[in-house]
Amino acid sequence: MSISDVIRTLPSNRMVFDVRRDMALVRRWKEDLEGLMAEYGLSEEERDAFRREDLKKLADLGVHPYFLTQITRLYHGSARNNQASAAAQAYIRALVEPAK
Amino acid sequence: MAELVCTMAVAHAPGLTGWLDVAPEAQQKGLRDGYAELGRLLRESKPDVILGFANDHILNLPLDNTPDFCIGTASEWHGPAPWFLDWLNIEPYKVGGNPEVARTIVRELDRRGIAFAFRDDLLFDDNFSVPLTTLTPSYDIPLVPVHMNCIVPPVPSAPRCFDVGAAVAEVVRNALPAELRVALLATGGLSHDPGGPRYFQIDEAFDRWFLGLIENGEAGRALAECTLERLRAAGDGGTPELLAWFVPWGAARGAKARVVCYEPTATMRCGMGGVIWN
Repeated sequence: MSISDVIRTLPSNRMVFDVRRDMALVRRWKEDLEGLMAEYGLSEEERDAFRREDLKKLADLGVHPYFLTQITRLYHGSARNNQASAAAQAYIRALVEPAK
Repeated sequence: MAELVCTMAVAHAPGLTGWLDVAPEAQQKGLRDGYAELGRLLRESKPDVILGFANDHILNLPLDNTPDFCIGTASEWHGPAPWFLDWLNIEPYKVGGNPEVARTIVRELDRRGIAFAFRDDLLFDDNFSVPLTTLTPSYDIPLVPVHMNCIVPPVPSAPRCFDVGAAVAEVVRNALPAELRVALLATGGLSHDPGGPRYFQIDEAFDRWFLGLIENGEAGRALAECTLERLRAAGDGGTPELLAWFVPWGAARGAKARVVCYEPTATMRCGMGGVIWN
């Protein structure tokens, strides 16, 4: 999991890039993630990882690490994003604790 | 002949506006006082325009087309981008731009062998929103933003950024309108690793080493030793934002800077601080 492992051509990276730029797509993410993933041509492996909020899998597939934190915020909200926040805790559960 | 009236670099982490209150009291005070001082120094230099250099957090420069530098040519900017409002805890703002300055910089850098991409629809997250709201809370100084690629390899090297800074300073002095007062402001760093293996760690030893090089004017050593690998070792996907700091350092011809503040704010998941060159 590093910036040199990023797969720039991965459809997930384009989807996340676009979503954060457009509140209409943020709503789509919440209401119709399946439709959004289909529209961006995500592989079944990618779709399954998003369905299960599997950050480790997304990292392994080549999602940019910077996007991983933003994906946690798309699922859990962004306000007061300190270590106790639901978004940061989701990251810790997925990627910090299993690595120990 | 335009004048470079202020040359500065600051960290821009979202915790400064979003959750400063969870930092130890002394760190909160250190940053409040430090950023107040940086803001005072910037405003007292009475710039007509701020020329800002900051990492693009893959918000504007997509992974399929990532220029090293992209300058904003709009006459007005609105921020933060809506999805970042509650994260940053910053009210919507607008700040002027300066299309003529931006376009002149593009044209003049082209002649010097440096290609800046340009566009008028850049979105701001923490990269410019946090420095603007803390340093210029009235948003009354027009901004010409330059978004850099620091986190999608290959990225420009420290020597490249330093040389770009030297060329920008030369363009400011020789090609921008006479009497125009320009502030050069880099934002980003210090050690942090958003989403990466050191997401919840900072590297205080690295931060103090890097700030020491700037404080002592050891540009040659910094250019030799701040390879992408060295920066990444201190925070894989975040610390390379310090490449932006090499732009003003190059503009200042490698001079010594004053470290106005530094705090190893682990609660912000980012070392925070700022420096000013004379």
